[in-house]
Amino acid sequence: MSYTRRQLGRLAGAAGLAALPLRQGRAETKEVVFGLIMPLTGAWAKSGELARLGAEMAVDDINAAGGIAALGGARVRLAVGDCGASPETSKNAAQRLLAEEPALVGGVGAYVSSFTLAVTEVTERAGVPWFTLSYADAITNRGFHYVYQTSPTAEAQAAAALPTILDLARSSTGRTPTRLGIVMDNTASPVNFTRGLRAGGAAKLGMTIVVDETFAPPLSDAGPVMQRVRAARPDLLLLLPTSVPDIKLTLEKMNEIGLGKGRLPAVNNGGPMGSPDLLRVVGKDMLEGVMFITATWGMTGMETLIAAFKKRTGQPWITQDSISTYAHIQILREAVEKAGSTERDRVNAAIKAMDDPALAQKYFPGGSIKFDERGRREGAALVIAQWQNGEPVTIFPRDRALATPIWPKH
Amino acid sequence: MNAFVEQAVQALAAGLLAGCLYGLTCVGLALIFGIMRVINFAQGDFMMVGMYLATGLAAVLARLALPDAATPFVAALLVAPVLFTAGALLHRLLIARTTGLRGGTAAHQAQLVLTLGIALVLQNGALIVMGSAPVSIVSPLSSSAWEIPLRYDAFSTLFLNQGRTIGAVLAVLVALAVFWLIGRTELGKSLRAAADDPEAATYVGIDVARAHRIAFAAGTAIAGVAGGLMVLAYPVQPFVGTDFVIIMYAGVVLGGIGSVSGAFWGGMTIGLVQQLSTLVLPLQLQNAAVFAVFVLILLFRPQGFFGLNVERA
Repeated sequence: MSYTRRQLGRLAGAAGLAALPLRQGRAETKEVVFGLIMPLTGAWAKSGELARLGAEMAVDDINAAGGIAALGGARVRLAVGDCGASPETSKNAAQRLLAEEPALVGGVGAYVSSFTLAVTEVTERAGVPWFTLSYADAITNRGFHYVYQTSPTAEAQAAAALPTILDLARSSTGRTPTRLGIVMDNTASPVNFTRGLRAGGAAKLGMTIVVDETFAPPLSDAGPVMQRVRAARPDLLLLLPTSVPDIKLTLEKMNEIGLGKGRLPAVNNGGPMGSPDLLRVVGKDMLEGVMFITATWGMTGMETLIAAFKKRTGQPWITQDSISTYAHIQILREAVEKAGSTERDRVNAAIKAMDDPALAQKYFPGGSIKFDERGRREGAALVIAQWQNGEPVTIFPRDRALATPIWPKH
Repeated sequence: MNAFVEQAVQALAAGLLAGCLYGLTCVGLALIFGIMRVINFAQGDFMMVGMYLATGLAAVLARLALPDAATPFVAALLVAPVLFTAGALLHRLLIARTTGLRGGTAAHQAQLVLTLGIALVLQNGALIVMGSAPVSIVSPLSSSAWEIPLRYDAFSTLFLNQGRTIGAVLAVLVALAVFWLIGRTELGKSLRAAADDPEAATYVGIDVARAHRIAFAAGTAIAGVAGGLMVLAYPVQPFVGTDFVIIMYAGVVLGGIGSVSGAFWGGMTIGLVQQLSTLVLPLQLQNAAVFAVFVLILLFRPQGFFGLNVERA
């Protein structure tokens, strides 16, 4: 069949007319698109998946409660991108998401600090407000205007961590540890975490570093490392491997040489140490007593959220990945409500104007939903959780802890 | 001083135990690389499949009346027939189309792309089927040791991890069985002939395609068993193969291309260097030390420990 140009013109006109009521219809129940970029494949896929579960739950909760009231009950839709396992693929994922979702209002991602750095290079240029739970200071050191970090930064955590742990030890046993051991891999997170300790931070707290071992992951055998720990006899160990195989090897070796099951208090930093998968790989006995520092965890005041999450997803407990993304989507919703618009700049302005301690209290250990000029959340504090009887439970801050710390009394 | 001696003995033991397992993985690759001259990028991923299979089999065996301590090792050995069959099928359906007498550069390129493709399919297939979370066999063996007091003082003790020690002994036994098969049997003779000169082997009535199929299947099965023995200490996730494939190639080259027993010693050397280097070098340089020694050995003995000649381009 062939058409003349005039026929084509009429057809196009008719199509336009037909589409008109549709477009009007959409304007009334407008859709609000939030983005999520997480590592859904590759080594960090589990954390990415947990983060996605949190975001999806937030979106469903918002829609079930009637959507965005200020926009006539507009429904929220989550557009998901997989950033894979490298900064390059993360950047590509961000570009793809922006191309496919021109109406994107704001977003969340991308778990690993180096991925977040790459993703936010793209979202900042497009002026998309972006939330992250990543720790690296560099994320909010670049003078960006649309990036928000809800966790305490790595340096802030490092500075606060040791005094907090020593305080925990003192209140649990009446004694303060003085001999510090460090076992870590050479990835960015533990390197940043321990830098200050070696440069006088430990000494200031009255601690001597008696063993300090850094390895290149993956370990083939934790024997040589843990043997040195045994010889140096520390009374507190910063055990900072970041990958599951290395965590398994070091914990099993600790047990093998008689330092496991909490006999030598061991502290890790970062959420992966509380991953439900770790239980299956390492086993309950090996993990007993191990502590870790994280940006948020299941705490008092979150009971409803925890119960709903467990029921919905079948996960045994909620982690910082899910809590943080749930919170980020809720903060974005709040900002869109306040802005009364899906225009990115107005939403961004609404985020900058926020100061909501009650909202922060729902998802984080302290502070407010208020961001400084760099995009860091004011009053962001750390949480310490400890593996007790096969489950990581919050033991600090005390006023929101779900269990009391177990500390060896020797 | 005493602490150093203790650490040295411990590192030596750790090196020997790791070396036995590395040695076995290298033997598997040497069968494929040495006999068929196929650069098999998927070898690490066959190991990954073996690790998953062993984990699954161990879970099944745990329900039977088997003693707990034996479960992981029986599971690892049971991987062999499964992966042997899979390897034979894979060879028949895919690999054989790019190998055999139709050799030459073009065939090598096709093999490279094919095995790389198989590796990608296995990795991503595992990601779809098994998910990304690492899994492992949880057994008290992996976290308990035989403690051997060192006689020179009252405190120093050598810890021999029970899981690793049994795994290493089994690895040596499997490797010995392979050496016997290749060195002492009619089948081994045909494999060696097919490796030395496929064309001449055909003239004397050896079925080279069959020899290659057996070599490929055996190499795959050995990778699987080695993986099964390793999963007790090292959790498996879909991309775990890449952690090991470089070590396998280094071991095979060190031992001398074409020498199956050499490959075992190549793997053993890597294990020993990796652990003993920690006595004098920072831990971070463990793997750097392995490759520094690798380069040094090849500088003075380019054919490897047991290689008879060097093919130069």
